[in-house]
Amino acid sequence: MDVPTEPNETAVRARADLLTSIVLVALGLTIFYLSWTMPRLEARHIHPATIPGLVPLILSVALTLCGTLLAWRSWHIEAEGGWRGLAAVFTTRQAMRVLVILGLALVHTLILVGWLPFWAAAMLFIFAFIMIFEIWMADGPVSPLSSLAWAIAIAVLGGGGIYLVFERIFLVRLP
Amino acid sequence: MFDGLLLLGQGIGHFLTPAALFNVVWATLLGVVIGILPGLTATMGVALLVTLTYKMAPDQAILTLMCVYLGAIYGGSRTAILLNIPGTPANAAATLDGHPLAQQGRAGLAMGLATTSSTLGTLVGIFFLAIIAPFLAEAALKFGSYEFFWLALFGVVISGQMTGSDTPLKGYIAGILGLLVAMVGMETLHAHQRFTFGIPALGGGIDLIPAMVGAFGLSEILSAMKRNAVAHVASVNDRVVPTFREIFQYWRTILRSGIIGTFIGIIPGVGEDVGSWTSYAAAKRASKHPEEFGKGSQEGLIAAETGDNAVVSAAMIPTLTLALPGSAAAAVLIAAMYIHGIRPGPMIMVENPTFLYQVVAMLLLATLANLVFGLSLTKLFIQVLRVPRQRLMAVIYILCVVGSFAITQRMFDVYVMLAFGVVGFILREMKYPMAPLVLGIVLGDLLDLNLRRGLLLTNGDPSPFFTRPISAVICLIIVFTILMSIPAVSKRVRSLFTRGSPAPAES
Repeated sequence: MDVPTEPNETAVRARADLLTSIVLVALGLTIFYLSWTMPRLEARHIHPATIPGLVPLILSVALTLCGTLLAWRSWHIEAEGGWRGLAAVFTTRQAMRVLVILGLALVHTLILVGWLPFWAAAMLFIFAFIMIFEIWMADGPVSPLSSLAWAIAIAVLGGGGIYLVFERIFLVRLP
Repeated sequence: MFDGLLLLGQGIGHFLTPAALFNVVWATLLGVVIGILPGLTATMGVALLVTLTYKMAPDQAILTLMCVYLGAIYGGSRTAILLNIPGTPANAAATLDGHPLAQQGRAGLAMGLATTSSTLGTLVGIFFLAIIAPFLAEAALKFGSYEFFWLALFGVVISGQMTGSDTPLKGYIAGILGLLVAMVGMETLHAHQRFTFGIPALGGGIDLIPAMVGAFGLSEILSAMKRNAVAHVASVNDRVVPTFREIFQYWRTILRSGIIGTFIGIIPGVGEDVGSWTSYAAAKRASKHPEEFGKGSQEGLIAAETGDNAVVSAAMIPTLTLALPGSAAAAVLIAAMYIHGIRPGPMIMVENPTFLYQVVAMLLLATLANLVFGLSLTKLFIQVLRVPRQRLMAVIYILCVVGSFAITQRMFDVYVMLAFGVVGFILREMKYPMAPLVLGIVLGDLLDLNLRRGLLLTNGDPSPFFTRPISAVICLIIVFTILMSIPAVSKRVRSLFTRGSPAPAES
């Protein structure tokens, strides 16, 4: 059976660059439109060379140009299996780790903060983070009891410590 | 000349108080720890610490941030030597010879050499900071809107050109994105709100600190946690304190690397990593034993660590005199200075002449603290390397939330941090450099205001942008820089200089 060869990093990046360049060109064109249609403050009789949209307009042209050049460059790179490699990036364990952290961060910041006192939300986040990465997504051998003890200790010391140091000692308000 | 020495003496004397020395001690230790931990960079440390120093007196706050900055750049060399992973991007070149030395059982010597050469590099940078900055500030007093427009553009372009590791194009794109971020909010010439889409919180624009905490905090947490667990820590069995001869037999390398680092530091937005690599490459070219480079060359390690630390001091030259950040961390320092009511720029020698020399004194104290701690606290710093990253990163994220919230006390800034963290992570993964992005955010307003103010002064005539001598020179440099990033052009230009001589061997 033929085993497909692993697409190399250059091929994957070339295809990722191609996708990004499309996003960049779209962004550049959108900003161009928004800058072109931005009020030119004629009623205030400002000089036409000083309209608020001038610099964004120039930058949008530059972004579109750079995006196009990047697309041209990535299109001309030999990228055998690049698309397949790019799709595979999203199913790796590394991608999973990143998504778990983002999920935890979003739950903490968008839901827990405001609903719970800051120190409690911080403790919960730290506890969950350590437990997940030491047990569920651990790199090496797992020792649940030791991890639990460490997670509780760091959550209490970290969450409580940050609260005390910032709000009580440095008098900085917390969310 | 004597006025300068007197001001320098006063600057040092100003910080010889128990409170200031206490700040030097804890901030340097914290900086070194931040540098040692892979995934935590100097910029992230400085950005997070801005919050903690918010209520301090301005001089003490900047002293603390400077100690963290210098400590982190130095601390990263420990990780480079013992783990073969750069603690901060600035120490990547130090891994090439630092880790082989550790594998040969000379980890102590490698750490001693790195510590001493870091100190010497900082001292070379400090020397040039004290000499060049007053003159540059005086010269910059003659700059008008035209020159400042070009300088802002020069900062973004040169940073994009020199930090785009994959292609300069990505550096330019990062710079343009940064400039576009700076366009959000109220513009300063006609007080018109741009790109706010009816969201009141966007009216004031996007603050640099939450953006930096996201781009250097959250995105670095994601990058660090993405990787598999770090490798084995090399053991240290030999002495750490180097002999005088071990260091000064390489005095030429130290001096050359210090000067190269200074030059790189002066260029806006080109940070310690470029300084380190350039010094390393120059040392290899000039060395009597280039074959040892990469296999545990003491000269290579010294060059790398002298180069990156010289950048830190020299980065203060454009930062203080032109308000153009010499590195990404210096951009955060500029934001911190504004928060504390210090206005960097050409007027600094007029409004606040003592401050420049206070910064020199801060760097001196910080580098001395690095030297003392670096040579004495070896065992403690090795313990730091053994902390599992998941236990640390969880706490760092909470600090990111606090750091982005505390300055203006808006949850909106925390959301900005989250957004910049995610976008920053994606851009990093795709090899877009962060320094031009940061520079763009810092310089966007300067560029926009000075272009339109210049046009207003000339009633729409752009010719002074090209005919005033300094403007014309900066404009030509920008055009040359952009042209040189086109492979076909740079190849032709290089061939002009190498014609007749044998082609250099590929390394």
